[in-house]
Amino acid sequence: MTNETVGKRYMPEISRREIDELKSTMKAASQKVMAENIERMKKADPKRPQAMKYFDEISNLFGKRQEEIQAEKEKGKKVIGYMCLFAPTELILAADAIPVRVNSGWYDTSKLGDRVVPVEVCPVIRSTIGAKMIELSPFLEQSDALISVLTCDGMTKLGEILSDYKTIWGMNVPRIKDSAHSLRFWNDEIKQMKTQIEQFTGNKITRKNLKEAIEMSHRATKAFRRLQELRKGSPVIMGRDAMLVNQTFLWDDKQRWTEKTEALCDELEKRAQRKDWVCSPDTPRVMITGTPMFWPDNWKLPTLVEEANPQGIIVADELCSGERILNDPVGVDEWSMDDMLNAIGERYLMASTCPCFTSKDGNEDRINWLLNKVKDWNVQGVIYYVVRGCMLYAMEYTRVKKALDKINIPVYYLDTEYTREDVGQMKTRVEAFLEMLTARVDI
Amino acid sequence: MNTVGMDLGTQRVKVVVLKDGEIASRGQALSGFDPAKAAEQAVNEALKKANLKLSDVAYFVATGSAMDIAPYANSTVSMMGADAKAGVFLFPKARTIIDVGAEEARAVKCDEKGIMVDFVVNERCAAGAGVFIEAMARALEVKLEDMGPLALKAERASPINASCVIFGESDVVSLIHRQEPKPEIARAVFDAMADRISSMIHRLGVNPDVVLVGGVAKDEGFVASLNRKLGVNVMVPDYPDYAGALGAALTAATRAKETQK
Amino acid sequence: MDWNIIGDLLRLIALGGLGVAGIVAILIWKKNLATRVTLVRLVVQAVAFAAIFYVFSYSSIIPMLFELIFIFGLTIFLGRFFCGWLCPLGLIMDLEILARKALKIRHRVLPDKLNLALHKSRYAILLFFLLLPILLYALDPQQIMVSPLMAQLLAGYYRPYSIVLDPMIPFIVPWTGQLVVGSVNLSYPYAQEITTYVGANVGSILAVAFVGVTLLGGFFIRRVWCRFCPTGASVGVVNRFKGFKWAPMLHIDKDEEKCTKCGVCKRVCPVQVNDVYEQKGGKIKTSQCMLCARCVEMCPYEDTLKVKLGNKTLFKSRNWLEQTKSE
Repeated sequence: MTNETVGKRYMPEISRREIDELKSTMKAASQKVMAENIERMKKADPKRPQAMKYFDEISNLFGKRQEEIQAEKEKGKKVIGYMCLFAPTELILAADAIPVRVNSGWYDTSKLGDRVVPVEVCPVIRSTIGAKMIELSPFLEQSDALISVLTCDGMTKLGEILSDYKTIWGMNVPRIKDSAHSLRFWNDEIKQMKTQIEQFTGNKITRKNLKEAIEMSHRATKAFRRLQELRKGSPVIMGRDAMLVNQTFLWDDKQRWTEKTEALCDELEKRAQRKDWVCSPDTPRVMITGTPMFWPDNWKLPTLVEEANPQGIIVADELCSGERILNDPVGVDEWSMDDMLNAIGERYLMASTCPCFTSKDGNEDRINWLLNKVKDWNVQGVIYYVVRGCMLYAMEYTRVKKALDKINIPVYYLDTEYTREDVGQMKTRVEAFLEMLTARVDI
Repeated sequence: MNTVGMDLGTQRVKVVVLKDGEIASRGQALSGFDPAKAAEQAVNEALKKANLKLSDVAYFVATGSAMDIAPYANSTVSMMGADAKAGVFLFPKARTIIDVGAEEARAVKCDEKGIMVDFVVNERCAAGAGVFIEAMARALEVKLEDMGPLALKAERASPINASCVIFGESDVVSLIHRQEPKPEIARAVFDAMADRISSMIHRLGVNPDVVLVGGVAKDEGFVASLNRKLGVNVMVPDYPDYAGALGAALTAATRAKETQK
Repeated sequence: MDWNIIGDLLRLIALGGLGVAGIVAILIWKKNLATRVTLVRLVVQAVAFAAIFYVFSYSSIIPMLFELIFIFGLTIFLGRFFCGWLCPLGLIMDLEILARKALKIRHRVLPDKLNLALHKSRYAILLFFLLLPILLYALDPQQIMVSPLMAQLLAGYYRPYSIVLDPMIPFIVPWTGQLVVGSVNLSYPYAQEITTYVGANVGSILAVAFVGVTLLGGFFIRRVWCRFCPTGASVGVVNRFKGFKWAPMLHIDKDEEKCTKCGVCKRVCPVQVNDVYEQKGGKIKTSQCMLCARCVEMCPYEDTLKVKLGNKTLFKSRNWLEQTKSE
């Protein structure tokens, strides 16, 4: 039932031969890119933690994890993919299904997406469409159903386009966040999603299962927060490494990921005690905010920052492909089914800093997040990263800049595309920005 | 103490030799296919003018788009950092430095020490940079250096699209076909460019004094248009195209002192 | 020397010691940061319950007045701390919450508007009950003949201050004999007033109904009584006097920048206070809050919410994931 289509309403006809050809070349290219990225990350930190080996392995999109999921699928487990962080993964886990995030970071496939939507559309969307077109993404292929959360315009229509191939469950996000009415509406969406997942998987989500799932995500959040805490002090881990760890959570087994992350943190704590920094503690500390950056191709900005001359180190981010994944725990009060579902609803809606929201104070949560990170993580400069077509992030820049200007933190607006060609130009800008930060540190 | 700054731009390599904080000589060469070789030539030319040998130079700093392959360079500095240094050296009251080069336009906000505080760069489009004028001059069939004087003769400007060099060029062609007077088209070209650049500068804030450097600063037509758009009188130094190299040489002087310590 | 008073004092001190021991035991044993304060609060409530029970069993006017003075004195510094931590009726409702949790029954939420209206109406309720005895006295010529107003107000049944003290009457204190149902003597807040004012026969039925409704309400709606309790109002009134501005107040403080507006504080609040969530940082100004600190305890972001006495931080929000049991 997975690949049953309702008739192609969006996707162009594409021959089997072309799919296979494109898939094999792009897969080979992607494997090369992943290997190269990891090689460069290894080079950047000669004493890279042993625990990173696991994450290097799991980050291979065509590797071990994909095989594991396949094996589970053959045993009858369902895979539920999602495109936005708003998908309630606890419910998926409680129904004994596997949650995976399926957004694509492949540059090459964004050009294929151009066959369906105009180039003005956000490349994350185009790339995901392209990946589906040639069946490149293993996780997207394995998904039995997709949760499409109607956040930005791109995501809204992406679900619609992918419905050519997959069962799509829309989740309607109220865009005005600070009203009781919105929360009620969203909580109803969560409850409906619960029924939908139950029917689809045939597993009832019981109070006990849901409690276990929430506790599992608590443990993951605990490990995750511990890792971010370690980045507060002098650098013991390259920003890219931490970002990769954060991102692997999106497709890895949650239990194992938590254990491995705790192990990584143990190692990093020892490293901090030895005062064995990955780079000079004077290195400008950078935070990245803006459009999500997906492994493997869209790793160019973190790579540029940490390999630039002068070098920078990423100590924090505000990305839904990064620290926003697990920052907020599900705050359950009473462990009754009702309260747990409400808590899940609140965690996904209220705590989110996604720019698709507004309120009577605008998207103030995001500003607060940034100001707090700047203070506690001792951030010296912020890079505001936007891909062309990402309207919401682009439009919030002015407000973010004003807020950061007030506390005298420089912010640089860097816009780019899903392409490798502008790396030279980006390098000039990133280096000028880091030079500016260094000059400020010297004063 | 002698220091040398090299600016390896997309079209030309510019070199400034600094002798105890004073400009001793300048040199330049076309970048061509081998900017490194061009830089070598320009450095040797400038040193010869200043009666110096390579070994007399305490420190070399490179800047510009090809700075990573610069010969002799002890270190590099970003174009924006160099602009800020040079701008404040030339005009101590300068706080905004606009640099319009062949393929890139940027604006830098700096403090009284010439340290950059903020900057913007034009985004992936050459319509705000020197090549735009070049392309338009080609379409108008006038020499590049005649564009400025031509534009100054115009009372008004023809409407023109400046979102893109290619579209701009086809706009100009259609204006020619409509037989609009050439001076007005020339002025339109500068106005369109100044429009783009000024909106970029407004994102930084226009903090006086405003200094304009870079190769395009030599074009009085563009300067007039930019003054009109910004509502301030921008200051243009002599040899504005050497500002990047000068900034690099000044950076070299500071870094040389640091290393001596 | 009255040895009885010394004996009483010793008993109260022993009770206090038991309470401290209980708190220490909880702090050592309970590693889960998300429920620790709630448990500590239960111990404090239980000790306060026992102490008040003891004081009330005298059934004499002096300790009651003493208690009144003590509570209002406490209020100057601690605000509605009494409501959250000491009130016996509060304990009863908290025990109901525990029972409901054990039965895995969900609680109901009042609409925000109704909640606020109830809260505002408590001053009217307070005023009404304060004036009622005088009104009744004036309407009852027989009483005027028997004793002067002052004596009636202090020792008679028409005690206006009982509106303030009533929630402190322990749930079942047989020997005070305030409300007789069959052969059982019940003592329940306001039961006595109802029987007195309405008359014994109808009053008894009304009082039993009142007991039933409030108990049932408290079972499904957390701390339902506290939403409009006139005692809370009278306690809150003390804080309104400018003369007490010098006193370092117990309050909740919020760091706006650390807040992600996740809404946990709003959901866990037993009296549905919205101000902690809505206010933009700083001292939380609301008379609805009874300082139970559940929001501070459940806030998952380090240092975001704090319980402060003046400028001194007593307790702050922690990353409560830190000590949840790993399996």
